Amino acid sequence: MTVYDRLADLLARSFGLQRDEIEPDYTFAELELDSLALVELTLAAQDEFSVALSEDDLGAESTIAQAAKVIEAKVVEATAAA
Amino acid sequence: MNRAAVVSGLGTWLPPGVVTNDDLARELDTDDAWIRSRTGIGRRHIADPGTATSDLAVEAGRRALKSASVESVDAVILATTTPDQLCPATAPQVADRLGLGPVAAFDLSAVCTGFLYALGTAAGLIAARTAERVLVIGADTYSRILDPADRSTRAIFGDGAGAVVLRAGGAEEPGALGPLDLASDGGGAELIGIASGGSRSPFRADTLDRADPYFRMEGPTVFRQAVERMAHSTRTVVQRSGWQLPDVDVLVAHQANLRILHAVADQLHLERDRCAVHLDRVGNTAAASIPLALADAASSGLLRPGHRVVLTAFGGGLTWGACALRWPDVTAL
Repeated sequence: MTVYDRLADLLARSFGLQRDEIEPDYTFAELELDSLALVELTLAAQDEFSVALSEDDLGAESTIAQAAKVIEAKVVEATAAA
Repeated sequence: MNRAAVVSGLGTWLPPGVVTNDDLARELDTDDAWIRSRTGIGRRHIADPGTATSDLAVEAGRRALKSASVESVDAVILATTTPDQLCPATAPQVADRLGLGPVAAFDLSAVCTGFLYALGTAAGLIAARTAERVLVIGADTYSRILDPADRSTRAIFGDGAGAVVLRAGGAEEPGALGPLDLASDGGGAELIGIASGGSRSPFRADTLDRADPYFRMEGPTVFRQAVERMAHSTRTVVQRSGWQLPDVDVLVAHQANLRILHAVADQLHLERDRCAVHLDRVGNTAAASIPLALADAASSGLLRPGHRVVLTAFGGGLTWGACALRWPDVTAL
């Protein structure tokens, strides 16, 4: 499963969204995630992908595809370092 | 036998006045759904004008002494951010009104982590044989320091008090305080606090027009820290206890916000229903929240004698911490 799919599943699971409501080019703001929800998502994504994420990595205006790319780069980096 | 501080009584007090979310919605731009979805809070108790933190502390202290079936202690520690006045401390008056005689009595300031810091301090007094029995009270009257126009803090905070009696006993007894983790980061001091009224910005006639006497909190900024610090402290005390995380029967975390409680549980991979949740009925009662949540969890049956319980808190300072113990057979009053 791709990082995008896992992130989309996590979003659906954590915030009661339908999986098919989520599209790669939606921003988190368009999914009506407020600032607290973005913090919750950041914490949950750190746990899901076992990488450290900052507040800026999952910003309100980034799209889900962009966020997945950021996470993917960190996962690759962490795997290379291990 | 290794000497330890053992929980032998638990008492709580909430002022009778209740403010619901609908009551707040009548004077602020907010509503029940907004408050519940962001905080999980439905109502809070607010002290009547003329009621001070000492009044709440005395009531909770009296009940804790009765719960422990004792009439005397060697020390009183009052954790509070809202003392009756800046000077002197409130604890000596509480001790006096409880008829405890000329015992050691002092306030402890660690904001929402105050109760845990006070437990640690009391355990130290007992370990050093300075005291055989200590009354530890967490009491706060945040309604006095909130900006009437600030919907975010007014929705969150409520008034209340809770207290435990700690006695000298053995480390293997139920109720013995186990490993305690206490920590701080003063680099985040500006995130939670009251700017004016202290030595940096005293209330004086010539500075009053610039003073901000109200409690302020950067809620979204502290959310993540609160979750990560409480989860880390919990892991620390669980590990030092020789337990595994799934062994934790009940997590009694500072009742800041339901979403924080759930996020802490998720970080620890604990089922969310192992979290004591009391804030829906009382809000965030600052230093009082842990003893109040303990009493509520004990009365609902979530928390039973023998359970492995972790107490954890995060608050202004910044401060945070955790403590592990096996719950004793005490009746909360």
